[in-house]
Amino acid sequence: MRQRVLIVDDSLTVRMDIGEAVQSAGFDTVLCADLRSARAALALGGCVLVVLDILLPDGDGLDFLKELRSSPATAQVPVLLLSTEAEVSSRVRGMGAGADEYIGKPYDLGQVIARARALTQSDARGGGGSGRRVLVIDDSATFRNELKQALEGAGYQVREAATGEEGLALAAADRPDAVVVDGILPGIDGVTVVRRLKSDTALRSTPCLLLTAAEGTNDELRALDAGADAYVRKSEDLGVILVRVAALLRGAVATDGESSPSLLGPKRLLAVDDSITYLDELGSQLRQEGYDVVLATSGEEALELLAAQPVDCILLDLIMPGLSGQDTCRRIKQQAEWRDIPLVMLTARDDRDAMIEGINAGADDYIAKSADFEVLKARLRAQLRRKHFEDENRRIREKLVRRETEARFQRLIHSNIIGVILGDLGGRLTDANDAFLAMLGYPRTELEAGHLISAELTPPEWHARDEVAVEQLRRSGSTTPFEKEYLRRDGSRLPVVLGLVLMEGTDTIVGFVLDRTEQKLAEEKLKHYAVALEGANRELESFSYSVAHDLRAPLRSIDGFSQALLEDYSDKLDEEGRRYLRFIRESAQHMGQLIDALLTLSRVTRSELHREDVDLSALARAAVARLRRSQPDRAVDVVIMDGLEVSGDPRLLTVVLDNLLGNAWKFTGRRDGARIEFGTSSTEGHPVFFVRDNGAGFDMAFATKLFGVFQRLHAATEFEGTGVGLATVQRIVGRHGGHVWAEGEVNDGATFHFTLNDKERVT
Amino acid sequence: MNDRVILLVEDDPKDEELTLRAFKKSNILNPVVVARDGVAALDYLFARGDHTNRDPAAMPQVIFLDLKLPKVDGLDVLKTLRADERTKLLPVVVLTSSNEEQDLIRSYSLGANSYVRKPVDFAQFLEAARQLGLYWLVLNETAPVTRS
Repeated sequence: MRQRVLIVDDSLTVRMDIGEAVQSAGFDTVLCADLRSARAALALGGCVLVVLDILLPDGDGLDFLKELRSSPATAQVPVLLLSTEAEVSSRVRGMGAGADEYIGKPYDLGQVIARARALTQSDARGGGGSGRRVLVIDDSATFRNELKQALEGAGYQVREAATGEEGLALAAADRPDAVVVDGILPGIDGVTVVRRLKSDTALRSTPCLLLTAAEGTNDELRALDAGADAYVRKSEDLGVILVRVAALLRGAVATDGESSPSLLGPKRLLAVDDSITYLDELGSQLRQEGYDVVLATSGEEALELLAAQPVDCILLDLIMPGLSGQDTCRRIKQQAEWRDIPLVMLTARDDRDAMIEGINAGADDYIAKSADFEVLKARLRAQLRRKHFEDENRRIREKLVRRETEARFQRLIHSNIIGVILGDLGGRLTDANDAFLAMLGYPRTELEAGHLISAELTPPEWHARDEVAVEQLRRSGSTTPFEKEYLRRDGSRLPVVLGLVLMEGTDTIVGFVLDRTEQKLAEEKLKHYAVALEGANRELESFSYSVAHDLRAPLRSIDGFSQALLEDYSDKLDEEGRRYLRFIRESAQHMGQLIDALLTLSRVTRSELHREDVDLSALARAAVARLRRSQPDRAVDVVIMDGLEVSGDPRLLTVVLDNLLGNAWKFTGRRDGARIEFGTSSTEGHPVFFVRDNGAGFDMAFATKLFGVFQRLHAATEFEGTGVGLATVQRIVGRHGGHVWAEGEVNDGATFHFTLNDKERVT
Repeated sequence: MNDRVILLVEDDPKDEELTLRAFKKSNILNPVVVARDGVAALDYLFARGDHTNRDPAAMPQVIFLDLKLPKVDGLDVLKTLRADERTKLLPVVVLTSSNEEQDLIRSYSLGANSYVRKPVDFAQFLEAARQLGLYWLVLNETAPVTRS
């Protein structure tokens, strides 16, 4: 079924005129003289465009327009207002009421048809059957008809135009596959038509066949010079013309499908002048050229119109009351969306100053009002052409940039570093790179056949996650990368990380897919190690337990029975024997201490850290109290700084202070005036704790050995000890994120410094 | 001081002898019954197995219980005692080499009355035994024995 256009106008002439033109443009028409019948026609549905007059016998066209817009069924139907009320205020009102286009009466048929096509987007390329389209331009209706029948008989679609001007407008709007044009026409001649077509970037590749009645070679030369692709005498048989057309179409270069606006397409001009007389004259002159002309009588009105309806060129009077031509020009040129519209300044005076004023205000050209209208028209055409080529250049540049971007994107995709997929919001994959196909094990043919659907490639339990991602995509244009699984072709599962991006202004989703198989394996392995480690730890724990329990029992026997011997059989042993027994007991007890120290060390390494606020000063005081109880007869001067609070494990920190203060206690055992100090100094605002004594000290050369297990710098006869204490201290401090180090000198005391929680340094 | 039995559950004969020696040195003269494993300890308490002929009502004054025992270990013995009406109020002193925090916590949660680590130094051991005897055999009032 052909698309239907509703034409509502109370003038029979207008209805017939537009109806015919619209029909020949390939639409069905419904003609209505008033709103009542228009409503009835609209109710039947299937209407793709409404051409609407404003002043109608039974109401206002704008009310009808508002009705259309407020009903969901018709809100989207494009409306072209066609009215004698073509002044700026009416246009602004019409566009404001929701019209898609506004053309003033008297109208130019070419304009109406071109706009109608644009609005219905009825590119006859796809809309009207498979035949190629041929435009026939000839002033003889008889010949047109003959040729049309012949062409249609050969399977072509035919459009007709009676004049060169009409033909050019139709060519611009309709983009035929070939043009057949008579050399002799009432207005511009066939050669001019061909030349214009060939100078339009959008149409220059359309093959043109020029017909002429003349026999002379002169015409042929002119035709070919103008760029015609072929030349046929009108006296030839129609069959010859058909053959030539077929040949032209065979040879025609296929365009890339992109349609750029044609230079010959419909143009709307805005003319601004405070003189109504001049404006009317200008309007009628320009309408004859096929332009849709909007007349504005002031700069303010011009700006109002521009905001409502785009125009292709502006003619602006320099001297006007209110907003002057210069100011109007300046305002237009300041607006980004209007800046590129060619603006021709009209001046009453043909003098140098006026020209400079105009150009300074940003005008693209200027012309004296006194000049011939033909000159004005030519200037206008020049401006439109300039704009057209600028647009064309920009379009080409953008296309090149787009191609470059596209090429880069393609290189990225086909580098196959990661899987890349393209799809629509419905989940169908439209493209994918080899990396992705290889991951899932599908051949490219499956993709190309459209068989790859995201939901079918995804195990059911991941569908909800996908939906969340699509939701995020709609909202913000991209997703944070997320983990999911795909189903391989063989049914196995593929763990991936997927990130999605919605291509700006499209429904196309680009997805980046990272195969997580290796990572998963690594994670599994890690988990395996963790389990093994846990096992080893448990083993170590039970080992420590055995050590604690089983190694001590024999020691107890050794010590206990030695003691029993000493007590019960003392008289049977001489002093030497008793001394040996005492050695045995000492060794057993020492070994007991070693075992305990080692157990503490191992417990420090494996037990969990339970952090809380700890008062180190209090811990130190408690440690010293224990030491004083163990050796009540020793006189040691102990100074403990108050209020040293840290975050740490109180049990472990107790071990630290017991050891450090215990050492200090021990190594001051052989001197008078023993003194032990616990306090803090700070570097860069972070506390460094210290335990200082004035005892035996040590040689700094051995400072690094201090913290090794079983490393002792003193003979057991001198100072007893297990050699494990400082190793334990170092581990505890390390587990608290701190450091421990020592300073000392032989016989001049030692200082042990330690820090905790280095990473949380306050600045 | 009375002559009620002390039940010593200890698998190591040397530790047993040292313990007995420590009791003697501390003038603890109560009869001591020794069980070598958890099963033997429970048999004694519930008058079964080798102890069928014992008066089941005569319960020990205190039980010294090692944790690491053959067959049924100390913690299980403790659990069984505390679950039974006849023995749930008996004083139990865990006497062990272990100073693992876990053992300590579990012993107390299962209802041990006291937890004492056997020191290597016999002098200390002696002191511990003396104090235990003084407390559990002299000072402590045991709960009346319930007869089922």
